[in-house]
Amino acid sequence: MRILLIHLWVICLLGGAAHAQSGWTDIEKQAKGQTVNWFMWGGFPAANAYVNGYVAPEMKDRYDIEVRQIPVQDIAEVVSKLLIEKQAGIERGEVDLMWINGENFRTCKTYNLLYGPFAQKLPNRKYIDPNDSAVRFDFGEPVGGLESPWGSAQFVMIYDSLRTPQPPSSIDAFLTWIREHQNRFTYPAPPDFTGSVFIRHLFYHVAGVRQNWQQDVDQAAFERAESRLYELLRGLKPFLWRQGRTYPESPQKLMQMFADGQVDFAMSYHPADASRMMRDGLLPPGTRSFLFEIGTIANTHFVAIPFNARAKAAAMLVANFLLSPEAQLRKADIEVWGDLPVVDFDSLSASWRKRFTGLNRGKATLSAERLKQNQLPEPASDILIQLEKGWEREVLRK
Amino acid sequence: MKRFAETSSDLVRSNLAWRGRTLLLLLPSLLIVVGLFGGGLILGLMQAAGYFPGSGAESFTLEHFKNVFIHPDFFSSLLLTFYVSATSTLLAVVFSLISALLVMSMLRRFNWLHLVMQIPLVVPHLLIATAILFLLSPTGFLSRLAHALQLIESPAGFPVLIHDPWLLGVILVYVWKEIPFLTLMLLSVLLNLDTRLLQVGKTLKANRWQRFRFIIFPSIFPSLSAGTLIVFAYSFGAFEVPYLLGQTYPMTLPVWAYRQYSDIDLMSRPEGIAAGLVIALVILLFVFIAYALVKKSASGRLPI
Repeated sequence: MRILLIHLWVICLLGGAAHAQSGWTDIEKQAKGQTVNWFMWGGFPAANAYVNGYVAPEMKDRYDIEVRQIPVQDIAEVVSKLLIEKQAGIERGEVDLMWINGENFRTCKTYNLLYGPFAQKLPNRKYIDPNDSAVRFDFGEPVGGLESPWGSAQFVMIYDSLRTPQPPSSIDAFLTWIREHQNRFTYPAPPDFTGSVFIRHLFYHVAGVRQNWQQDVDQAAFERAESRLYELLRGLKPFLWRQGRTYPESPQKLMQMFADGQVDFAMSYHPADASRMMRDGLLPPGTRSFLFEIGTIANTHFVAIPFNARAKAAAMLVANFLLSPEAQLRKADIEVWGDLPVVDFDSLSASWRKRFTGLNRGKATLSAERLKQNQLPEPASDILIQLEKGWEREVLRK
Repeated sequence: MKRFAETSSDLVRSNLAWRGRTLLLLLPSLLIVVGLFGGGLILGLMQAAGYFPGSGAESFTLEHFKNVFIHPDFFSSLLLTFYVSATSTLLAVVFSLISALLVMSMLRRFNWLHLVMQIPLVVPHLLIATAILFLLSPTGFLSRLAHALQLIESPAGFPVLIHDPWLLGVILVYVWKEIPFLTLMLLSVLLNLDTRLLQVGKTLKANRWQRFRFIIFPSIFPSLSAGTLIVFAYSFGAFEVPYLLGQTYPMTLPVWAYRQYSDIDLMSRPEGIAAGLVIALVILLFVFIAYALVKKSASGRLPI
């Protein structure tokens, strides 16, 4: 009896697998000749080059799919466009694929702007660790297959090893360093993305238990931690560049100040940024990067398919291709982009793993393993918004 | 009597035809202005009024405008913006008057001056802002030069001109950029000025100041006031220069509006648009006042 049941179960499984397989072949057939309008932030030349110079020709060769990158200033524009299309009942929109994460994903989810849980169907999903919270949650929001990961970013601190041979790596030591070196440190003003994530590290530092800030946040505990954070930041102000009366408006500006020697640290949410800028001669040759001892915040970026996409099948094929080891390896190459791979190295064959670990990531870039082992999750996007608003109210204006 | 009526109706007809043709010729540019500018304005107005389909906010409301006005930052931003535009416009007007008069007297000898004056017109504000940044920042060219010449002890001793509380860097960019614009505007009038008027002034023993006050100034006043208005309106609504060279806080109104608009929360966009419309309204108000003033001066009573 038991053996019979097991047999049945195996048959069902096989049938299911076969069915899933045939489903995917159908999708491949449907996708042939379709055009994918990929709406994405256009302000990042390396990402643009990767999409137009690698992904698009590969998709054309392999599946006869046209990939058209539509650069936008801010993906939130596309989200509000979708919102209006939904209201107007437009069934066939222009957006087939979008590069998205965080708050924009949450908005899409709230207003049902996305096509069903397609990410689970992608064959290359097998390269993703299903238990990894970095791909299960997007700023605390359960992803539920509504978007498919394609890369990840992690915050790093940047310093000049000739100027500062021993960078203070614990947050406490770092804060002490700032107080001892007046006028030598600043951060981009939130809501700039990089400045905002720096603030979140200090929030984790004062708030302690960091696992509590993704979901079901205890509001009272949050407010206590929040006020301690602002107190800390206000206390730090006299020691910052220009006494914290003004801040650089972007990480690029901070990088320039770092290169000029006005400040001793820069920061980036892209671990390979420093290497790339050093290669281009924009940063001094001693530039290196480091992580705080508690780890640094990482987030995953995703692609999603809108509810009214015209080329859903082709968009799924693109999302699937982005997860393939070759596409991920290419993206991780510092000469191309240097984006952190999202694939789980344990799922790879030994030879692929070797190719990933053997990749030249540039002198200022930490190894992908080291980064991966020291990742902290982003807090829920509510927290992010409250901290940004709170910073303006309690730190900037005081 | 009958003949006269005929000719007058002929005149009216031909006048109408002429008007019609002019309108037709203007149509392409009118369509663009009305369609793109007006259409965008109307869409913006709708969003600022809270019409945001699909989000559950579909009724028209003045809530967002109210929120803009009661925001603690609004009036400080408005004042700051006014200070920046007024100061830079005033400086640009004074210097361009002087330079226009100087250039006029020298143009016969140095006619290449006219060309040189036009060069800054084609350089975008953004580029000037970046140039100013490299020139005047604490690690900039002038600071290093001053250090090399031992005028200051270290590059850090250079006065703070960028990201400073008085927005000197921002004002400098506007002044730098607007002087040639206004000068050229004034020159075109000055070069067409009937020089006999000045000679009459001389024979009547009017001194330099009197000639300027009673002959030159009245003739350049209409274009000067129009130019002043354009410069003021531009600097009042400009975003990129104060964004690059201003302080993080307080910020000018356009930067503030942009910050509201680009807020991570999609629902605070109406406030950003409302703030943008308030800027447009302030500019319109100034246009209206200036128009009234110019009209008054045209009727012979100078408002000064």
